Amino acid sequence: MSKKLIKGNVALAEAAVRAGCQAYFGYPITPQTELLEHMAIRMPELGRTFLQAESEVAAINMVYGAASSGVRAMTSSSGPGISLMQEGLSYIVGSEVPVVIIDVMRGGPGLGNIQPAQSDYNQLTKTAGHGDYNPIVLAPSTIQEGVDMVTLSFDLADKYRTLVFVAIDGAIGQMMEPAEMPPMQELHPRPEWAITGQGERNEKNIITSIYLGADNLGDFNDKLQAKLRAIEESEVRYEAETVDDAELIVVAFGTSGRVAKSAVHHLRKAGKKVGLLRPITLWPFPSKKLAALADGGTKKFLVVEMNMGQMLHDVRYAVGRDIDVQFFGRAGGSIPMPEEIQEKAMAMLEVN
Amino acid sequence: MSIKNIPLKLTAKSLRSDQTVRWCPGCGDYAILSQVQRVMPKLGLPKEDFVVISGIGCSSRFPYYMDTYGIHSIHGRAPTLATGLAISNPDLSVWVITGDGDALSIGGNHFIHTIRRNIDLNIILFNNRVYGLTKGQYSPTSRQGHRSKSSPMGSIEQPINPIALALAANATFIARTLDSHTKHMGGVFEEAAKHKGTSLVEVYQKCIIFNANEWGDLQDSHKRDDHIIYLEDGQPMVFGKNMDKGIRMNAQYELEVVELGDEFTEADLLVHNVKSKALALMLSSMEWPNFPAALGVIHSREAQTYTEGLELQIADAQARKGVGNLQSLYADADTWEI
Ligand code: SF4
Repeated sequence: MSKKLIKGNVALAEAAVRAGCQAYFGYPITPQTELLEHMAIRMPELGRTFLQAESEVAAINMVYGAASSGVRAMTSSSGPGISLMQEGLSYIVGSEVPVVIIDVMRGGPGLGNIQPAQSDYNQLTKTAGHGDYNPIVLAPSTIQEGVDMVTLSFDLADKYRTLVFVAIDGAIGQMMEPAEMPPMQELHPRPEWAITGQGERNEKNIITSIYLGADNLGDFNDKLQAKLRAIEESEVRYEAETVDDAELIVVAFGTSGRVAKSAVHHLRKAGKKVGLLRPITLWPFPSKKLAALADGGTKKFLVVEMNMGQMLHDVRYAVGRDIDVQFFGRAGGSIPMPEEIQEKAMAMLEVN
Repeated sequence: MSIKNIPLKLTAKSLRSDQTVRWCPGCGDYAILSQVQRVMPKLGLPKEDFVVISGIGCSSRFPYYMDTYGIHSIHGRAPTLATGLAISNPDLSVWVITGDGDALSIGGNHFIHTIRRNIDLNIILFNNRVYGLTKGQYSPTSRQGHRSKSSPMGSIEQPINPIALALAANATFIARTLDSHTKHMGGVFEEAAKHKGTSLVEVYQKCIIFNANEWGDLQDSHKRDDHIIYLEDGQPMVFGKNMDKGIRMNAQYELEVVELGDEFTEADLLVHNVKSKALALMLSSMEWPNFPAALGVIHSREAQTYTEGLELQIADAQARKGVGNLQSLYADADTWEI
């Protein structure tokens, strides 16, 4: 298959269609709306469901319902809409229903603006609803990677019966880039646990997140934690470049990861021992890799984000207090420039 | 600002903010803004008593353009912020500026509950039957079959009728007007502002970019009078450029348009009664172009506002228990030590 020049939002939507998404529910919000609009065209022509909900609250609960019936279901939104979905997210994880959400991040807090930002890092990785859990969060930095991550997101959601976010920012959503689309997948059979009617089975399938009694809820939470630990064990993904001999490693994801990469290339060309660690899974976070790099001799880390320092805390936690971890970030809708990152890295390198 | 620069008399001009008004050229929102600015000075309140609260959408840029207090709030939530504000400071004149998406989609719940509480505020609902700000998706008031970017084959859903919805929530004031009919709009806004309790004004608004033809001949000042019935309390429902048509109720209890002449005379027509909820519901069901658009005050009645109810309860409690005193409350037998 050949590469095609395609807009980020459209590419991710089409990737979801090809991954066998059978039901999409969403609400217009900039900078995500083209994703919804692409689904509005594609889903009906394939005999699948598209519905523009009355709000993000409605959308996530429609997704919850559809996914409970065992079809691949998703929604997409941006920061303020994800904030609204919190209640549904918690119930989805609590009842172990696989759901995929694409978040095209914009600036916050509040209405903020519609410029690209990475303001949802904490919301997605840590506070996506009440209870003890983390959703899987995939953070591609190119449109091609976004397409691949959407395909993966449905597989991970099904495999672990959990919530998976694909988090891009408005820049990736709105720009055009060549990307190759995966082939159209066959629709997946409805899994055993789904609400399909009792039929020949002896047991009723009931989708619920209520576990009455301390023991019941305790057991469920133990099981949930075991699942999360298994995800941490097997699903960490990152890109590491020239890290082995690095004195300083730039840690950045998504669009800022992409900018950081060019900064690192420049610095390498200038003979500086600099590397890049770009987390692709924001949860599970590549903490072990970061710890190993710190143990292996890298004593300086520069975290670059399009927010005021959210992933920063995860990096600090991973490498420990003896390591110099500094931050360069912007919140408000502008993308950091490679030169700015280089300058900050140089300043850190100069200090012994 | 020196004292000299503060205008003593409120004028439309003095309500204009220093912001450049940014809607698409030809958008109906401009006319609505200027009518609100014309009407406010007639209410006899100082400028600082006005608050304009909006949610999200094209119309929600409104507070920036008003030199009053204002809040650009959350999508769909303006009525709730306005409720909090209006109850906490009943002296304010509170205006909620909202659109069909904001008020009826994401904010549908807040819309009905604000109305049924009869909070003293004015809701101006800009109904253009499309999502403008996110560039042209169908809205909850879009007609069935409406083609848009999110309904490429036509919307499957039935539209919400905001007036019928407000009636279901026991609204005490409901009116409708048209953005291009500035004089009519000004009159309706004034009536709405004078009403005690929640007043809802639906404004048929033109989104020239994404739904330009929605209101068809209503927007043509030469043709519109054949398609509009201007409601007047106590008056028979006659309409048309030559006042030769009317609305009557037939034997199936349905409204129908009749030509005045030999068969039907004015005596056969309905007479408008703003107090009648049943009539208001029937009028709300008259959908242009099959019927003339019913403009003017559709329903209006006096009822206790939320604040009045609250004040009565406070007075009642004080009559029974006396005026509260924080010190005596602390020393009261109802406190306990842990
Ligand atoms: S998009 Fe439509 S409603 Fe919004 S400002 Fe433009 S014309 Fe007005």
